[in-house]
Amino acid sequence: MNPIPIMKKLKNLSSIHYIYVIVAILFGASFLFVNNNYFLYEDPIAKVIETSHVDTTEAIDSFGNEDQLYTQHITGLIKNGDHQGNLIHLTNQYSMSGAYDHKFNVGNDLFVSIHSDNLENGEFTGSIREVKRDKYVLVVAWIFIFALLLVGKKQGLFSLISLLVNAIILSFILDIYIGTTGLSLVFLCILSAVFFTITSLLFVNGFNEKTYSAIIATLLATLITMIITYLTLWVTSSNGLYYEAMQFLTRPPQTVFLAGILIGSLGAVMDVAITISSSLFNLYEKNTNISTKALLSSGMEIGKDIMGTMTNILFFVYVSGTIPVIILYFKNHSMLGYTLSINLSLELARAIAGGIGIVLTIPIGLYITVGFINRKRVRS
Amino acid sequence: MNTLLLMTIILFILMRLVGGKKGTKSFIALFLNFGVLLVTIILMSNPSFNLIILTFIACLIISIINLFYVNDINTKTKTAFISTLITITTLFIFILIITEKAMIQGFGGEEIHEISIFSLYIGIDFVKLASSVIVMSTIGAIIDIAISISSPMRELSIHQPTISRSDLFKSGLSIGRDILGTSVNTLFFAFFGSYLALLIWFKDLSYSLSAVINSKIMSAEMITILFAGIGVTLVIPITSFITAYFLVKKERG
Repeated sequence: MNPIPIMKKLKNLSSIHYIYVIVAILFGASFLFVNNNYFLYEDPIAKVIETSHVDTTEAIDSFGNEDQLYTQHITGLIKNGDHQGNLIHLTNQYSMSGAYDHKFNVGNDLFVSIHSDNLENGEFTGSIREVKRDKYVLVVAWIFIFALLLVGKKQGLFSLISLLVNAIILSFILDIYIGTTGLSLVFLCILSAVFFTITSLLFVNGFNEKTYSAIIATLLATLITMIITYLTLWVTSSNGLYYEAMQFLTRPPQTVFLAGILIGSLGAVMDVAITISSSLFNLYEKNTNISTKALLSSGMEIGKDIMGTMTNILFFVYVSGTIPVIILYFKNHSMLGYTLSINLSLELARAIAGGIGIVLTIPIGLYITVGFINRKRVRS
Repeated sequence: MNTLLLMTIILFILMRLVGGKKGTKSFIALFLNFGVLLVTIILMSNPSFNLIILTFIACLIISIINLFYVNDINTKTKTAFISTLITITTLFIFILIITEKAMIQGFGGEEIHEISIFSLYIGIDFVKLASSVIVMSTIGAIIDIAISISSPMRELSIHQPTISRSDLFKSGLSIGRDILGTSVNTLFFAFFGSYLALLIWFKDLSYSLSAVINSKIMSAEMITILFAGIGVTLVIPITSFITAYFLVKKERG
């Protein structure tokens, strides 16, 4: 085979093709890794090689809910640690509804604890602790990456990088928060909001006046939203908000809640700010003689169009997550009003605070962008 | 005074001031969405209803509210509506498969003590329920992108009536590409904000990386975020195709 055409071909590959090759290699390597990473885990992992159904019972609880309870016997092969290669016998009980249990099938990987004193002819007994889920997270992550790159091309790649950078910043900020005493979480989140805003908007839009105007609008609107939210909580002394329903608390709930509002609404506020600033700059670039009044009224129209759908995004993200626990309350005959207020109050407050941020960003973004445009006009 | 009530009043005043009549409509739409969600949850508590069909109907009604009520019935909202439904259906299939395989339904060990007083054997299929939750979390974002693409595409086809179907499709993709980054961002920050307590919990209790990744709660959260991202990406080519198909009835040239 003549090597010259191949060399030529290689030279003709643009950087986007190299990215495809790199992505393909990463893809293959990560799957090989995640299917063979047993040795990295300290806890013993067993692969299910055989299951047998033992028993089925009807279950009716005190509220009349009907369910089925099943018992299965599982034989697993230990994949790591001192007992690698040995068989382990496990018993699993699961229900038809599966709120806190699972039916296991051949091929599942389970974290187990080995009862090593029960050794019988080289086979152990043990109990199931957790399911190994890393490979499924990986599968979905890859579907996401491929979709983003295929549809978004260069912009997709940039937003992927921006997401990674933001996740690292968040993790870093939380490490600082955990590692030091006396630093306020809200203060740290305001600080990180500045980083998030700058990195995300620069990655998505590059260095230009549209981006600068959006950054200023985002920060200002977020600050005002936080002040309004804080004052509202203070004036009403959080009446009707059930902080006790907040899960996973290791820190003062109100702080975590406020910081969550700040971070949660930031993305939507950025979205509105950049939409306003880039559409106004587009109008200006098409017709540099456009009047300030015309810019303001067009910007307002755009703002009106997006505020409803943007508020909806936050609403559904926050509120949907509470569906399973609300159903659990209902099925345990909790009162409707009690169930809704205890499970929804904080999520609704989050969504409304985000909505306030979104709506505020429209006029703020509008005036800041017009200010930038007028400055540019004077200069040219 | 109740905090939620005061916040709602502030939101309404702002929407009215900034958005005028359309602001009021958006506010009412938000209320209607809440109503649909509540009715859906109450119906879901009945084990004899199919959760997937219920979720699909809920998404259908939510799309009707946010597209046809807020923006009137016209070509752009109709194509956005069809595209939303196609995207939701496609996404639902993927989500059901992954939820079942990854076993992320129901409650995790970290939250089980809080609900220990409850009976967990309630006869509701939690795999389907968890899938429905993921779909419902993304419906707002999917509708947003669908209308953001179909609306400028219609403007384009009005200004350039001779544009071919494939050119219109390509401009739809390019519009989508421009908004993809910020939309993914919006979703990610929204999820980050709501998982903040959980993230601090994992850090405070010094969970190892492997424990975090394999824990039911965290993997469920990660899979939800990723599916939300997949949803807003998927809706771009679907909306571009559907809108181009309906706006250019017959392939020219």
